Amino acid sequence: MATRKSPRQQQVEAALLYPVDWLDERTGIRAGLQYFLFRNVPRDTNWMQTLGAATLTAFLVQAVTGVILAMYYKPDPNSAYESIKHITNDVTLGWLVRGMHRWGASCFIILMFLHMGRVFLFGAYKYPRELTWIIGVMLLALGMIEGFTGYLLPWDETAYWATVVGINIQANGPFVGPFIGSILKGGAEIGPETLARFYSLHMLAIPGGLMALIGIHLFLVVRLGITSPPWSPVAAGRERDGEEAPTADRVGLVEPTPRGSASQGVEK
Amino acid sequence: MSSLEKNRADHKRYKEDVKREGKPFFPYALFHDSFMQVVVVAVIIGLATIWKWTAEDVGGGTNPGLLGSLYEEKADPGSTSFVPRPDWYYYFLFYLLRIFKWPDSVILGTVGIPTILLMLLLALPFIDRRRERHPLRRPVAMIAGILVIVAMGTLTWKGATAKEAVASESASAVPTWAAKQGFANDPVAMAGATLFAQSGCLTCHVYTGSGGANLGAPELTAEGSKGLGIDWQIKHLECPSCVTPGSPMPAFKALGADNLKKLATFLEASKGAK
Amino acid sequence: MQHSGRDNGIARSLWPFGFALAAAAFLVGLVLSWWLVAIAGGVCVLIGAGWIADSIRSKHPHLLEETVEHQVEAPKAAAPVRAAAGPAMSRSRFLEAGTLGLGAVMGGALTVPAVGFMVAPAFQSQGKHDANVGPLDNFTGVPEGTFMVTTFLLRKDQGDVSRRTVYVRYNGELQSQPSFTIISNRCAHLGCPVQPSGPIDDAKKVELTTDNGPVSLTPSQPAGFGCPCHGGAYDAEGNRTAGPPVRGLDRFEYSIIDGELHIGKAYSVGTVAGTGADARIKKFDLAAPGQHVDDWEWWLYPVQPPH
Repeated sequence: MATRKSPRQQQVEAALLYPVDWLDERTGIRAGLQYFLFRNVPRDTNWMQTLGAATLTAFLVQAVTGVILAMYYKPDPNSAYESIKHITNDVTLGWLVRGMHRWGASCFIILMFLHMGRVFLFGAYKYPRELTWIIGVMLLALGMIEGFTGYLLPWDETAYWATVVGINIQANGPFVGPFIGSILKGGAEIGPETLARFYSLHMLAIPGGLMALIGIHLFLVVRLGITSPPWSPVAAGRERDGEEAPTADRVGLVEPTPRGSASQGVEK
Repeated sequence: MSSLEKNRADHKRYKEDVKREGKPFFPYALFHDSFMQVVVVAVIIGLATIWKWTAEDVGGGTNPGLLGSLYEEKADPGSTSFVPRPDWYYYFLFYLLRIFKWPDSVILGTVGIPTILLMLLLALPFIDRRRERHPLRRPVAMIAGILVIVAMGTLTWKGATAKEAVASESASAVPTWAAKQGFANDPVAMAGATLFAQSGCLTCHVYTGSGGANLGAPELTAEGSKGLGIDWQIKHLECPSCVTPGSPMPAFKALGADNLKKLATFLEASKGAK
Repeated sequence: MQHSGRDNGIARSLWPFGFALAAAAFLVGLVLSWWLVAIAGGVCVLIGAGWIADSIRSKHPHLLEETVEHQVEAPKAAAPVRAAAGPAMSRSRFLEAGTLGLGAVMGGALTVPAVGFMVAPAFQSQGKHDANVGPLDNFTGVPEGTFMVTTFLLRKDQGDVSRRTVYVRYNGELQSQPSFTIISNRCAHLGCPVQPSGPIDDAKKVELTTDNGPVSLTPSQPAGFGCPCHGGAYDAEGNRTAGPPVRGLDRFEYSIIDGELHIGKAYSVGTVAGTGADARIKKFDLAAPGQHVDDWEWWLYPVQPPH
């Protein structure tokens, strides 16, 4: 650390860091990243708490593969089915992108449910994380709607008839139901307008909502912190008997550490 | 101390604990996250690959592999033989709609229960306001959670395995019936069995374990052992309520004398599954 | 924007008049045109918002004065200033109202056409169109009780998307006119394709082309119809016999032109009394599947979008 750098090295370093400094001077990104990356989380977090990141990954897979699929997909009843065949059979690695989008959707839904189950098990929806939970439920609902709108796009038998039933379920709502059904169909019957509508919803409107909500969700997670497993003997925020003084073994285990370097024994 | 003050004290203590004895997010927690992210992407790519290669080996693309076919038939809005099913994560709703099989309760299955569930889910943090987080000290929440999981699991499983009593699905069961009942060598009974499967009888009657018991219809697996005779069966099929007053069974006279004879022969040949 | 003076604690204001006018325009619009409804509704909301903002401002002046009007020294000083005659509005208050107003105008200009564009098709009638399914002989020269599984294009200009299947039965003659029963194959529960409960004679399938495009006819002898989704079952008149369907199967009107059968508008039925040519049918406007038409629950669906 104390080794002195040659003027040459210093020059190179300054040149390399210049863009970073330039960016940081204008955005303050360095401090933001430092806060995000080096903030402390409870030391006893476990594998179940990676489900949120896993869900986010599945969403990112959907976003990336979806954008690529949109380059080849044609949202028109006369060519949608053929364009799916074309993607699967002719386009280089088209089967992979379509397969990832198709199976990624199932993974996304499963992971959302698992993540939700974890939060429920940990009681992590309680004060002060109620809003995080509510936004999570909205994400689940939007994710399910995303699945429903995407289901029509291949324009095969299952797609068509599942959509008929799905729209009729919406139309079953009292008073405004029939109109919701008509708006979804874009007319009295399922036709070209319906497919274009579902495509637009699936491609733009709902993903936009999902991204905005995911952003708020993550902001709240970072701001409020993640919970310790409630059964952990060293859970952050645990109740102590009487006035708290760290016990000897805990003092030995964890020292107050500067950010970026962790004491030994944190990771078991 | 009010519960809100306790909550605030809890969270303050949490913040202090995390600051004093927590671990930095990077790299300790993020490493676990990254590992999981790789697993997720690997699983998705793996599923896509298995789906493609097992389905394509058979040729054509519409042949199902381990994970289903690459694509189905093109949508036919005029279909009369297709059996619609939703994607798996809507199976619970699909089966819910089958449970509410009375016209007056349809709206409960379509909008009622899903809306109530969503509202309950959204309101959960305000329903369960206790500070306790340990699962073993939250019996009500845990029991409710387990019940929901079991219910959703059961509905999903029932939805995935649901069979319909329509021609296109039931007719494939005829050889099994023949083997169980031992009428495989009787062409008239075989033709009757196919008619029986096609004509929607299984909507109400149960036959060797398939079909739905509706409108109090009797099970027909051992109908032939009642000794009613072919003539009685034909008369009954022509006009059920004439033979059995008050029977809600519709008349099958439209099938024609020839077809009714086949059906009656089949019913008389059904002596009970072995 | 009248802030001056108070009688009986009620500020003098023009807001209620504007609101009433807009509301009246809204009601008139319900009769005249949807466009007027949209515009008057928007104006209603704007005036309502202004009214509410105004009354909050006059009742709780401190709410806004402290934060916005930096140049006014004490909150209490604001009231006399604004009560004075002449240019009653301070610069910041004008900008505040202006910003809100411009924002509302921009939002409206963006939202009204976009939402209207999205929603309008739901309120537009599709127009009347008949589908020619070919010569009567194909339907009449069959054994009694036969339903022809008839597949045709509902809208020739839309092509395959509008392919529909109906079950057509010849009922003999009624008052020396041929009588037909034309039953839709969409389940009255949630719209799945119902199947004939009985043998379908694919060997006797007839394909023909009329001026309405391709038509296929397959004879079948069903005792009724069954739904492959949720277990609905119907008899040969389309009446529900089991399962969740809330009414009988929808039917189609028909006409006979130059010896050919034309399928017309679809309509909903509750329960059909009687059979064949003697059936007594009460017609209802076509309702989406799952919507009651003659039960007590019909009031859940009082208005239907046009078809």
